[in-house]
Amino acid sequence: MLDLQSLSVGYRSAGGPLLSDIRISAEPGDFICILGRNGSGKSTLMRTIAGLQPALAGVASLGGENVATMRAATRARRIAVVLTERAFNPGLRVEDVIALARQPFTRWQGRLREDDRAAIADSIKVMGLEPFLRRYFSNLSDGERQRVMIARALAQTPRLMVLDEITAFLDLPSRVEIMALLRSQARAKGQVILLSSHDLDFSLQLADSVWLLDGAGGFSVGTPDALRGSGAIGRAFDTDGIRYSPGRGRFEVRTPGSAQ
Amino acid sequence: MPARARISARAAVLVAALLGLSLLTLTHGQIALPFADTLGALTGTETSDLTRQIVLEIRLPRVIAAIIAGAALGMAGVLMQALFRNPVADVWSLGLLAGGQFGVALTVTAAAFAGPAAVSFLTVFEGPSITIAAAVGVAVAAFFMLALGRRVGAITLLVIGLMLGFTSQGLTSVLLHFAARAGGRVYGGWQDASFAAIAPAQLPWLLAPILIGAAAAVATAKPLSSLLLGESYARSLGVKVRTLRHAVLTATVLLVAAVVAFCGPVSFVGLIAPHFARALAGTARILPLLPLAALGGALLALAGDAVVHARWEQHFLHLNTTLAILGAPIVILILIFSPAVRQWR
Repeated sequence: MLDLQSLSVGYRSAGGPLLSDIRISAEPGDFICILGRNGSGKSTLMRTIAGLQPALAGVASLGGENVATMRAATRARRIAVVLTERAFNPGLRVEDVIALARQPFTRWQGRLREDDRAAIADSIKVMGLEPFLRRYFSNLSDGERQRVMIARALAQTPRLMVLDEITAFLDLPSRVEIMALLRSQARAKGQVILLSSHDLDFSLQLADSVWLLDGAGGFSVGTPDALRGSGAIGRAFDTDGIRYSPGRGRFEVRTPGSAQ
Repeated sequence: MPARARISARAAVLVAALLGLSLLTLTHGQIALPFADTLGALTGTETSDLTRQIVLEIRLPRVIAAIIAGAALGMAGVLMQALFRNPVADVWSLGLLAGGQFGVALTVTAAAFAGPAAVSFLTVFEGPSITIAAAVGVAVAAFFMLALGRRVGAITLLVIGLMLGFTSQGLTSVLLHFAARAGGRVYGGWQDASFAAIAPAQLPWLLAPILIGAAAAVATAKPLSSLLLGESYARSLGVKVRTLRHAVLTATVLLVAAVVAFCGPVSFVGLIAPHFARALAGTARILPLLPLAALGGALLALAGDAVVHARWEQHFLHLNTTLAILGAPIVILILIFSPAVRQWR
């Protein structure tokens, strides 16, 4: 359903592309984790796939339609995002934030219909946000705010969900809970979910497929097992200080003087 | 839908309050009239010419101007606070009204120096020409602040807006001094804001652009609600952010240009009315806020006017003086205590 055809992403002003000639596709129900260090191009790739910034070359298409040339209103019904961007919004309540997800489906007044209400109620329930609805969005903690934004993306009933670093502010149980929940959402609703994360461990346990960015423009794709075996994870993340141990499935601190 | 019913009920209360305050303002003033005579003058059954003149020719245009201008400022405040995502943004605090004032002053001065023919042209076509002059001034200030708003933080923008306001007010006062010497003039009390100077024949010139501006505001309400989440989220919801920004500023210019032209730089109304509307509506979605902010703005403007024209020993209050005494403490209280802006503090 999601096809990247020779996609190159980056900023025109900043020399060459961050990532180039990506060819990959994803099927409905796929829960995909994008891993890579800071600055490896995860956010840029995700923003490009979501149609929020132009590709430098190539095409990202969803259901056969190029997301860059899709009508804005159509794209808004098919792709939902959760970003790291945070805006102050005077007086905006949690229920307003979640209800805004249905704007692409409403007429000019933004009046909600029965199916809109159902989608909103559904996502509130899934994320357990009933006690928060009348709270001011800007007064929530980072973790609570993240849950609201995820509920908002779910209420948008998209075909593709693009979630950038959504687990960063969550505690350990919440991270697992939300990643597992998104995975089952993808299965149940036939959505493609793209999630970038620094949680290597959970990502490798839960993802159907992992897109690994090595920070030097390299891009490897595979199942978690395949990537573990191939040493690609080590190539992307190892530094002088730590190394990935495929056998143990975790990072280990390199102590000075220890033999390799 | 209960939320909509609640909003309608609150709007109805505001309408009733506005009617009551209007009748009060029409009845009381330098000369207190019996309430029955005010009603008589309004319904055409009053026989005293003096009473009719006081109610219909002196007080009624002022009350109508206050309601229209207050409503326009309230709606413009909602647009500005959403566009800049800033709880103290408003056409006055960001210097847009001062820009409009400067536009009018420049036009009047230019006409005065161009000679009597230009002055009489300006006098004959006063309504449209000073409205257009104000609109140009407001628009220049608005687009400047928008460009600036993307580079500096909310607080810096506010301070710059206030500073630019002071600068253009200073320049305006210098210009008007020279204009007066060359034979040009603006209405009495214009620089301190007043709803009293507008002639009944000019009321349509005040109302027409505001009606168009209000329609434009309503049309932008849905995408502007999405913009509350920030630019990227708005785009992910299908909003064309650039187009929206320009549409919102155009609506703002239409709403306030005539207010500046005929009533001067009315302060605080547009800053307070949106907070009032959000508290009453229980939401920050733009569409329900617009009518509530319009009614709240009208009430506040009319209340200010009522205080100015109450029966004082001598005339010592200007509209902006009154609004500052009433309004500034309200803004301070909102900033300190309102949970809606807690994170911004």
